[in-house]
Amino acid sequence: MIKKEGSFKYLEIKNISKNFGETFVLKNIHLDVFKGEFLCLLGPSGCGKTTLLRIISGLERQTNGDIVQDGLLISNSPTEKRDFGIVFQSYALFPNLNAKQNIAYGLENKKINKKEIEKRTNNLLRLVGLEKYSDQFPSQLSGGQQQRVALARAMALSPGLLLLDEPLSALDAQVRSKLRNEIKLIQKKLNLTTIMVTHDQTEALSMADRVVVMERGHIAQIGTPFELYKNPITPFVADFIGKMNLLKGKYDKKNCVFYYLNNRFLISQNTEYSFLENCLLGIRPEDIEIIKFRKNIEKEENILRVKIKEITYLGTIFRLTVVLESKLEENIFVDVISNQVISNNLKIGDFIDIKLKKEKIKLFESNL
Amino acid sequence: MYFKKNFNKSFNILLLRILIIFVFILVSFFIIIPLLPLFLKSFSDNKNNFIGLENFINYIQNPSLTQSFINSLKVVITTTFFSVLIGFIYAYALTRTRLPLKKFFNTFSLFSLYIPPLAVAIGLIYIFGKQGLITQGFFGTIPGFDINLYGFNGIIIGEIFYCFPQALIILVSALNLSDQRLYEAAESLKASPLRKFLTITLPNIKYGLMNSFFICFILSFTDFGVPKVVGGNFNVLATDIYKQVVGQQNFAMGATISIYLLVPSILAFLIDKNFQKNEASLISGKSIPFKPRKNLIVDSIMFIFCSLILILVIGVFSSIVLASLIKIWPYDISLSLQNFRFSNVAGNGYEPYFNTVFMSIYTAIFGTIFVFFTAYLVEKFKPLKKIRMLIYFFSTLPIAIPGLVLGLSYILFFNKPSFSVPFLDFQIFNPFSLLYGTMGILVLANIIHFFTVCFISATTTLKQIDKEFEEVSESLKVPFYKTFLRITIPLSLPTILEIGSYYFVNSMITVSAIIFLYPAKIPVSSVSIVNMDDAGDTKSAAAMSTLIVLTSLFVRLIYEFTSRNVSKKSSVWINPLET
Repeated sequence: MIKKEGSFKYLEIKNISKNFGETFVLKNIHLDVFKGEFLCLLGPSGCGKTTLLRIISGLERQTNGDIVQDGLLISNSPTEKRDFGIVFQSYALFPNLNAKQNIAYGLENKKINKKEIEKRTNNLLRLVGLEKYSDQFPSQLSGGQQQRVALARAMALSPGLLLLDEPLSALDAQVRSKLRNEIKLIQKKLNLTTIMVTHDQTEALSMADRVVVMERGHIAQIGTPFELYKNPITPFVADFIGKMNLLKGKYDKKNCVFYYLNNRFLISQNTEYSFLENCLLGIRPEDIEIIKFRKNIEKEENILRVKIKEITYLGTIFRLTVVLESKLEENIFVDVISNQVISNNLKIGDFIDIKLKKEKIKLFESNL
Repeated sequence: MYFKKNFNKSFNILLLRILIIFVFILVSFFIIIPLLPLFLKSFSDNKNNFIGLENFINYIQNPSLTQSFINSLKVVITTTFFSVLIGFIYAYALTRTRLPLKKFFNTFSLFSLYIPPLAVAIGLIYIFGKQGLITQGFFGTIPGFDINLYGFNGIIIGEIFYCFPQALIILVSALNLSDQRLYEAAESLKASPLRKFLTITLPNIKYGLMNSFFICFILSFTDFGVPKVVGGNFNVLATDIYKQVVGQQNFAMGATISIYLLVPSILAFLIDKNFQKNEASLISGKSIPFKPRKNLIVDSIMFIFCSLILILVIGVFSSIVLASLIKIWPYDISLSLQNFRFSNVAGNGYEPYFNTVFMSIYTAIFGTIFVFFTAYLVEKFKPLKKIRMLIYFFSTLPIAIPGLVLGLSYILFFNKPSFSVPFLDFQIFNPFSLLYGTMGILVLANIIHFFTVCFISATTTLKQIDKEFEEVSESLKVPFYKTFLRITIPLSLPTILEIGSYYFVNSMITVSAIIFLYPAKIPVSSVSIVNMDDAGDTKSAAAMSTLIVLTSLFVRLIYEFTSRNVSKKSSVWINPLET
């Protein structure tokens, strides 16, 4: 599924920077996209992900750096000479043209005969499942249908690269998850190299072969969704992909111990951390255990006595917000399956003991 | 290492750059450059010798001329104040009260937009003049009442007629942008009506208010029609220029007075532009429009107020029509069409009328194309940012150039067959001089004179069209001009029609921009109104005014009809619920 080594680099982004005067929007971006890959650019707003997409499309020009697509240097090529199709967040469907005319818009400009255009347009309509709606104008279509027209239009010229700029964010939750699967299916079927920009981590994780997490104009980490979840390399990625508690403390390298206030935690010896004393301990809410009625607590390691501050129901799990008596302002999140909360009759204000699983603890360099 | 794609410059971008530069040259030559000979002239005597500031000093030392400047200021201050005040109350009634018959009041308030200021003045003569209906107490049936029309009073009334609907349009759209929730929030905080007005209503319309002050200032400062007809001995700058140029052939002094007229206008323009720059929409797309509640006292007062205004407007209009139909006012008031023969010396039969109609059609067609294309190039593209910004600035400037000044500068610029290059004995042929003495120069003057309003309206529409349409087209390898024809124009059609009808109507009624320019062999009707009035043939002037007003209204009706059809056709892609 992941074509990393030995696979054909379809798009190479080399040292791309973009700045407006003094402010950097993108700084030294290096990125390779492989043939047939679905890549997501993920990050909070203002991280430069859309700018990067627009630079790839030529709608915006980089300040520095090169782009190579399919072996051709396209750094300074105008948009119309580049080989890609794009779907915008707003879809930008021409309101005075019906679904079919929208899809055929790019084809009609090529010197193809009418029959061929008709055939290809119909194929595209079928591909996105809109045969019945070919005569409808955009305003007569639902959001999801408009999205499909935009997708079909972007693929009409059989581009080598598909660019999607937050394509699903204007849709409601149900339509969104349905379209996620459909886009993914079409993309795999056509083996179409695709780059999608999104700020929604669920969307990125569920669709992408690889995710590029971006933060303030640079790439924080690149990896498969699972890699990013399992081995985030910065606290930013850790907290952006899933949820991560981050506790600031001191690391004793020799003894593999982390000190947080007056608590000590044992750290797994499998990973060696090279950095200095002051650092962050990271643990996901789902990797914290509640120990309430167990005896011999003294013998257990990595235990904290905390007070429950809030209980939030999230469906199959409860998320507890707990605090240490000695540090009330720092929230620690603990995910517990619903049964446990109900059977133990946990209430706000209760004191409980929680255990941070040693092998799940990660340390991060503190940049504070 | 890699194959370099060798088309770093695409044909489309090149074409776009050429078009932008071409439009830049056109607007420079039509708007800015013609003002230069005018400035030069104001520093020269009539034999074209450079005399420095002598003209300006002569002007200041001539008490009758400086009196005109003071008179102009008096007119401007009074007119602007009352026009904006009346416009505001009327707009408030239309938007913020439960005024009965709102639609009727709305439609007819704009009636005076189709009456040339000249015709307003003629209408006023028949009501308030020496033999006027009110002055003579309806043919002596009731005691008469003389308001001393000729002079300051007449000018003020005429100018308010002319300016008030302009202020009204701006203020209605400003007051329409409201948010019910702000008023509800204020009410829940126990704010008094006055406090709500001062803290919500006024701040919300301050840009509109400022803009309407500016528009009324410019219009009343530079109008020539009203003071010409009812000004009497009360001279203003605009009539002075006319007298200097047409009466005494003193172009140098005409140019000097033009500068006195131009400078305050440009200053007002810059102040307004600077003020509007800070405008940020306080009302978001999700605002809930204000729904006025019933208030018997306010509603009745507003009803009386609006009715009075409307009675005056309709009264003036009907008196123009009546005057044109009555044989010899006030001695033989039987009706006839003899005034429509235009057989007297001052008229040229129907020739001026048809010339004007054709001129207006040409202005509407070429003006709309030029203005829309200019706005499109400025608004939709990225290359040559500085040049596009200059085009934008030049395009907003004509509103501050008084028609008489534009006309005078056009004569000075376009009648030169060649330019001499300073310090070199070298002449450059002036290709624009070919337009001189043709209908072309009249059309061009009209296009430029009304350019700003059309340009702003085109720009506003283009801004509302998703800029991603151009980007999608680029990604689909469709050149911009195809998207322009297939997407942008159909989507802008309502605005394009609106611009066309605006150009037509204003070209029909304008006098100031063309009175210096019209070639002797192409008489135009608004000028013949001036001439007929000068010759004392007021009833023919009234007849010609009636023709102009009826034609404008007719074209406006065609516009309403067409635009309704267009919106019916396009409703399928704008509002699906209606299909």
